[in-house]
This record gives sequence, C-alpha cells and structure tokens, in this order.
Amino acid sequence: MMTMSKSSRIPVPAPPGVPAPTTASKKRRRLPRNASLIIGLVLTTIFLAVALVSIFYLPSNPNIPVIRNRLLPAGTPGHWLGTDVLGRDIIAQLMVGARTSILVGAGGATFSLILGTIAGLAAAASGKMTDEAISRGADIMLSIPGMVTALVLAATMGSGALTTILALTAFFTPSFTRVIRSAAIGVLNEDFITAAKLYGRGKIFVLARHVLPNIAGVMIVQFTLYFAAGILTEAGLSYLGVGVHRPSISWGMMLNEAQQQVGVSSPLAIWPGLAIVLMVLGLNLLGDGLRDVLDPKLARRAS
Amino acid sequence: MAIYALRKLAFFLGAVFIASVAIFLLIRGAGGNVAAVVLGKSATPEAINALAHAYGLDRPLPVQYFEWVRGMLSGDLGRSFRTNESVADLVTARLSVSIPLALSGLILGLIIAIPVGTYAARNVGTPSGALLALVSQIGVAVPVFWAGILLSLLFGVRLGWLPTGGWTDWSDSVWGAIRSLVLPVLSLGLIMAAVLIRYVRSAVLDVMNQDYLRTARAAGMTRTEALLKVGLRNASLPLVTIVGLQIAELIGGTVIIETVFSLPGLSRMILANVAAREVIVVQSTVMLIIIFVIGVNLIVDLLYGILDPRVRSTR
Repeated sequence: MMTMSKSSRIPVPAPPGVPAPTTASKKRRRLPRNASLIIGLVLTTIFLAVALVSIFYLPSNPNIPVIRNRLLPAGTPGHWLGTDVLGRDIIAQLMVGARTSILVGAGGATFSLILGTIAGLAAAASGKMTDEAISRGADIMLSIPGMVTALVLAATMGSGALTTILALTAFFTPSFTRVIRSAAIGVLNEDFITAAKLYGRGKIFVLARHVLPNIAGVMIVQFTLYFAAGILTEAGLSYLGVGVHRPSISWGMMLNEAQQQVGVSSPLAIWPGLAIVLMVLGLNLLGDGLRDVLDPKLARRAS
Repeated sequence: MAIYALRKLAFFLGAVFIASVAIFLLIRGAGGNVAAVVLGKSATPEAINALAHAYGLDRPLPVQYFEWVRGMLSGDLGRSFRTNESVADLVTARLSVSIPLALSGLILGLIIAIPVGTYAARNVGTPSGALLALVSQIGVAVPVFWAGILLSLLFGVRLGWLPTGGWTDWSDSVWGAIRSLVLPVLSLGLIMAAVLIRYVRSAVLDVMNQDYLRTARAAGMTRTEALLKVGLRNASLPLVTIVGLQIAELIGGTVIIETVFSLPGLSRMILANVAAREVIVVQSTVMLIIIFVIGVNLIVDLLYGILDPRVRSTR
C-alpha cells in the first residue's frame, strides 16, 4: 500500500524494454494480504486509541446508576448509543470495556510470550532430556481444557483481572513454547550459528544475539494472534461471571447483563458483541498481515 | 506399532497423573476450612469437625490425594457434602444434556466445514474464495456466547419458533429436548465451523499440490474426481488430528453455551458447585473431563499411527 501511494503521487514512466506485466501481476497478488494488514492495523489502532482516551475522559460515569435515564434509545443526545437498564451510558461502558480487553488480552499474551520464549529456547538449545521434558510438559498442558481450568482457578483464587491474566498465561504458554521451540531449532541449524559457535560464542550469547532477532517475526505474529484469543477468552469468562467485576467493565460482562433483559431492549446485546468481533477481527487480520511481511516462510505454509 | 502405542499410552498415563496432581493442588491448596465454608456461619465447631472427619478432610493432603485417586480407580468419585449424592450419579444425570450438545455441535461444524473448506481451497484467488476466507475470518472472531444470544434473539424472541433457553428432559418429551437443543447446537456448530473451515482449506490446499493428485489427473480423472477420491482421503489425516485438538475447544464452547441457554449440563453443575465450595464434586468432575480429553487425543494418536505408518517412525 505504501509503495502504491508513493507510485500514485510520483508517476514514474516505465523504462523502455523492461517487462512491466510481471511486477504488476506480483503487486496484484500481494494486494489482498496487504489489505488485511492495513484493515487490521486501522481497527487495532482505533480500539487502542479508545482505550487510551477512556483513561482520561469518559462521557459519563459508567458505573453509577441514573434511574431516570434507564433504557434510553440510541440517538439520545448525550447518550448516543443509549443507556442500559440502570441508566448507565453504553458508550462509556464500551470504552472502559476496551481498556479491560486490551489490558487482560495483552497481559496474558505478554506473560505467555515471555515464559514461552524462555521455555522454547531452553528446549531448543539444551540436550535431548530437557527438550523432551519441556515438550511433553507443553503437550500435557495443551490437552487440558482451558475453560474448565479457568473456572477452577477463578473459584479458588477469586475472580478478577489478575486471575484472568493468569489463566490466559496458563493456556497460552504451552502453545508459545512449541512455536518458539520449532522456530529456534530452525535458526540453530543455520550455518551462521555454527560460525558463531566456532568463533567461541557461548550458548546464551548465541541465543540472545543470533536466535532471538531471527525469531522476532514469529514472536510478534504469535503475540498478535494470542492477544486476540485472550480477548475472546476474557469475554467468555466475564460472561460466565468468573472474569472481571465492576467497577471494571468487560464486554462479556455487558452481554451477560444485557441478556438478563433481552426481551426489553435487544440493541444492548448488539454493541458489546460487535466491539468484541471488530477488535478480535482487527488483531487477527493484523497478525495474518504481519506474518506475510515478517515471516514469509510461515505465510506460505499457512495459505 | 507396538512401541509407538506403548509410548502413547505412557504419555496418556503421565498426563493424567500430572493433571490429577495439578487439579488437586489447585482446588485443595487454595486454603481455607472447606467444612466451615460448606456449613456456613452458624455452624458449631463440633459440626464442622464432624463433617471434616466424615469426608476425610482432616487428614493430611497427600493422604487425601491418594484416597481420592484410589476411589477414582475403583469407580468411587466421592459424594457431595450437602446432598450426599454420589458424584457419579450427578455426572451421569448431566451427560444426557452435555454429550448430545457437544457431539451434535462438532458434527454440525464438520458438516459445514468440510465442503465449504474444500470449495474455498479450490477457489483460492477468486472472489468467492476471498469472500469465504473473509466470512470464516469474521466467524472466528465471533464469541460463541454472542452467537447464542443473537440466535435466541432472532428465533426465540423475535420469531418465537424455539425456546430462548431452558430444558425439557428426554424422559418428558424427546421432541421437547430436541427443540431445546436446536439453538445451542446451531451456535456451537457455526462457530466450530468457522474455525474448522480454515484447517480444512489448508489441508486440502496441501493435498492439491501433491504429486499423487497430478498422477490421478494423468490417469484420466477429472479435477473433482481426483480431489474427492484421492485428495479428500489424504486430507482427512490432518483433519483427524485437528478434531483431536479441537476437543478442548469444543468443551470450552459447551461450557459457555450451556450458560447462554440455561441448560442443566455438566459445566453448569461445575459452576454451581464451584460457588458452593463442593470441592470433591468439582475435582472429580473436572478430572473426568480431563481424562476424557486426553483419552480422545490418545485415540487420535493411535488412529493416526494405524492410518499413516510414517508417524510411527518419526516420533
């Protein structure tokens, strides 16, 4: 897209004798992929901006009931998406919900990225025994249904944003470990690693200086995709009542509250769901687009 | 094959053991006097001690763990503190809701995903292929409970064709039970389909680039014939694995959908007992689910070993 806009601003005549069709067809084939990157980036940026704004400014307090304002329809001045059954502004709640989604989703993805990278690198670079132990451990954790574990975790630790982040970390770390391990093994088999080792570089140095930068693309892509998965899971847990609680607000919690009076005002059940879909869609598109740019090998396999 | 099977079996046993320790520690290690919580504030210390003693809660944790495992192995899953019902009976009663729900959801997902995914793979780069990719991309982003809420709004509230929630038991009316399962199964199946379409598509795409497909075409089959007779059989191998991996996802979806439609299934029982601190009911039920999931994966691995000799040697 960047190259496209550049070429549209500065028209460069094609040099004579150079076959233009090949580059043109190449560009056309890459276009849908780039489109997913741009749509993903736009959606993600919008939600990040909304979450950021919600820290400084909210149209009204999303937690204080105002009974005379209950169930205002969308389009009411001051409450453009209406209010819920307790008269709380929908837009304000959606804004705080964006903050919760991003905090919990990114939190879970970050912790599991860190733990998964450490475990994955350890598995890839250590001996067969360590590798086997870490890999089998990850397999076992993957075969435990996450939703059920999260319920138990919420029951024993008390539910809240921190517990949800912890639950997400427990689900995602084994997947990260596997991906990082196989990516790192791929890099460790390259010739320049042998060269570095022959030069006398230590294991940690090789991992930090040579392996990490080469798997950074994989890490970024995976982070984006699990960020999205984390938002979906958080919404589900909050819907079940074992995620975050007021004064925190989650889109999943809003849907739970809306469902209690679905017959009364169904639009209330629309907005939070739409927010979840757009945010998750945005991150997934961004992840797919980034994969195409950062990790062409994986992209070819995935498509 | 025998060595491969033994190794998989050893993994199964190891996984079940580790999971059981983890679940036990997670539920019991949280601290607090379980008996006191169960009996409530008005209970006398004597009553609390009596309950703790009756259920063995006053013994050291390792002893309790081994007692629990011994009970599980001999088919005794323990009893509820409050009602003294056996966990086995509680679970069995709920399975008549959860199993039809989860199974039909998975089957519906596959029925949609296999033809649609195959079609999407055959039409890569065309507008209809791109549209399908977009639809499944959106479908993956839809939370299963929102799909449930929207379907119940449309078919339950707006059109009034089906119940918005609740359960009619099989013994009261088979038709009523089916009616109360239609929307939950539809929500679960549609979301499963969105996830599965992407896997089917890439599995079929992989197969389409293989030499044997070209051979089949060279032998005189049409493109469709070759894909259906040769391709689909080969694409079904990775599909078996994916279904195994999706089991955990399926159970997660079932947990939520049972809540959306107020179905008295297994997961709602877990939720209620978690709130009531019925630790024995929770730990035994959760353990059963985990054994089921790991067991399905064991079967998938063994099937894979039988279907494709190559995996036996590489792993």
